[in-house]
Amino acid sequence: MARNLLKRDSISFFLEILATFGKLHGPILTDDGVLAFRPLGSGNDLLLEYSRTLVPPKKYLLPPRDAVLFFAPDEWYHQLAAAVPETILVGLHPCDLQGIAYLDKVFLGDRIDPLYRARRTALTLIGLSCEPDENCFCGDLSATETHGCDLFMHQSPGGFNLKDNTPKGTAILDRLTPILAEGKSLPAVSRTCDMAAAIQLASVRSETHGESALWDEFAERCLSCGACSLCCPTCYCFDIREYGALDGESTVRLREWDNCLFKDHGEVAGGFNFRKSRQERFQYRYRHKYLGFGPTRGIASCVGCGRCRAVCPVGIDLLELFKERQDEKQP
Amino acid sequence: MRNSRDMTIVPLPATIIGRKALSADTTLYRLALESSEEDGFDFNPGQFVQLSVPSGGEVPISLAGPPRHQNSFELCIRRVGHVTDMLYQLLPPNRVGIRGPFGNGFPFSEWAGRNILLIAGGLGIAPLRSLLYALLMQRGEFGEITFMYGAREPSAILFKEELAELSGRKDMHLFVTVDFTKEESPGGLTCNTGLLPTLLRGVNFSTTDTVAAVCGPPALYKCLLEELQDLGIPAAHIYLSLERRMKCGVGLCCHCAVGDLFCCSDGPVFRYSQLKGISGAI
Ligand SMILES: Cc1cc2nc3c(=O)[nH]c(=O)nc-3n(C[C@H](O)[C@H](O)[C@H](O)COP(=O)(O)OP(=O)(O)OC[C@H]3O[C@@H](n4cnc5c(N)ncnc54)[C@H](O)[C@@H]3O)c2cc1C
Ligand code: SF4
Ligand code: SF4
Repeated sequence: MARNLLKRDSISFFLEILATFGKLHGPILTDDGVLAFRPLGSGNDLLLEYSRTLVPPKKYLLPPRDAVLFFAPDEWYHQLAAAVPETILVGLHPCDLQGIAYLDKVFLGDRIDPLYRARRTALTLIGLSCEPDENCFCGDLSATETHGCDLFMHQSPGGFNLKDNTPKGTAILDRLTPILAEGKSLPAVSRTCDMAAAIQLASVRSETHGESALWDEFAERCLSCGACSLCCPTCYCFDIREYGALDGESTVRLREWDNCLFKDHGEVAGGFNFRKSRQERFQYRYRHKYLGFGPTRGIASCVGCGRCRAVCPVGIDLLELFKERQDEKQP
Repeated sequence: MRNSRDMTIVPLPATIIGRKALSADTTLYRLALESSEEDGFDFNPGQFVQLSVPSGGEVPISLAGPPRHQNSFELCIRRVGHVTDMLYQLLPPNRVGIRGPFGNGFPFSEWAGRNILLIAGGLGIAPLRSLLYALLMQRGEFGEITFMYGAREPSAILFKEELAELSGRKDMHLFVTVDFTKEESPGGLTCNTGLLPTLLRGVNFSTTDTVAAVCGPPALYKCLLEELQDLGIPAAHIYLSLERRMKCGVGLCCHCAVGDLFCCSDGPVFRYSQLKGISGAI
């Protein structure tokens, strides 16, 4: 028996102690009825049972708009060390943790992105176990439920069993000990999901579903609104824009979220477009999501959070491609 | 943090030390990097830089001159839009920003002993000019060298004087063609009329043990690649440089994927055999 059980009636103490480590953020229900990661406190109450936020936590690492470079005639192009406050993100579901682990692979891999690293270093991740709803399909994708988070909160009948995974997490757990009760350590849970398994298989086999009639069907219905990539925890493609300031001399270069379903995503100067049709843009999204590009080749980046299926205004669901394949196998 | 010296992230200042109009819309720039500690700026022909025009933005541009040219290098740039228009306003000794070099370039050291055919369409001459000079610097190592260049019309022919000079060389063959002509033919340069594939069929060059490097607009690839294979050059010996929208140059922004390859970091030079099964690649 270890002192690792956080009882439900100790949550407010728990948050108070956490707040000494940094600014607390977590899932809340906003006034306009949206689930969102926001700063906690002053009326923003942490939700410990929720389905999924609309915008995933990638916004903490890759803000929708980020100044990457500044230019002034006497200073040339330069980076400014971003002043990133220590932030404690509480209540991340395993899929979102896995989304962050994927972004780490991309932005802290062979080529380290300095802005991402600064933000990532200042972020403490506190995971939270969850129950899947009809849109989730994380399955075994989240078997290692803790995916690099600092501290994990496993819901149990008595409250939450806490498990530290990093030195940061251990430091937090040490400070929490006085408010914890003795609890049993819970066995690791493995969740199985056919869909997750089908995606893994497609990714290993580089399955493109090239012949499927579904592409045309999707393309006909899609509005190119981009909601599916915007809300995806692992979609990170970006555009770079540079804007001159009013002084006519200094400049800021911005990195902004882009979207592969937008028409100009594959366009080059002169108007030639390498992905003119919606089908081509969908297939591009499919490839990136499930098969990977460049160094992430062979890594499926869909973490099964279900956001894209939940938000698409016309009910497009790329999973139908995998279902079609499964149906073919079961006559 | 001041300018970190990582040239992949922060553009380093380069001074425009030369500027020469090549046609109505295309200019050759010679740039010198300012950082004195940098001992030369080396690259592989076929690689590109990301060129920044302050307050305009950044665009990928092929290195157009011979490699290993100390601290200065050449870029051949067509004025087509926002950033290239702003660049056009700059004169020596104005400064631009340079990141790179990026991409793989042509693996020409593997071509020793082979015959080499270079085919450039329009602005595609930029990286192939760099490659040609690199080959000529080590002329003895290669077999026959043939350079074919096609432009829209006589006034669009880039590097006219250089081509005239090259046409006098005994150690290479040069063929220039224009799609159509309504003006007089360019001074000192013999020029055919017709598209590149027609030229390819009409002239004599070695097709055995030959490597081909092609660069031009997508329309050129469509008709030329099959033609080259018909002449007996296998797809694995045909190298082409692809253009895609690129924002970062280092495989992060995800605009430039071709199949599962990134044009910026796995390319921009690919063997045709790598691209064959990929829909939309060519
Ligand atoms: C590998 C490679 C090599 C190339 N080599 C050469 C070469 O040797 N010579 C040559 O002339 N061309 C070359 N090009 C093509 C060249 O990159 C384009 O012509 C150039 O990007 C045109 O930029 P532009 O801004 O002038 O045109 P535009 O058509 O105005 O813009 C082109 C791109 O810039 C974006 N953009 C527009 N406004 C902004 C802004 N404010 N901030 C940031 N981005 C903005 C647009 O969204 C668009 O994607 C090469 C391209 C590639 C991929
Ligand atoms: S593709 Fe859809 S289900 Fe998969 S991670 Fe992205 S938003 Fe979630
Ligand atoms: S959310 Fe639906 S309609 Fe919007 S771009 Fe994605 S697939 Fe198309």
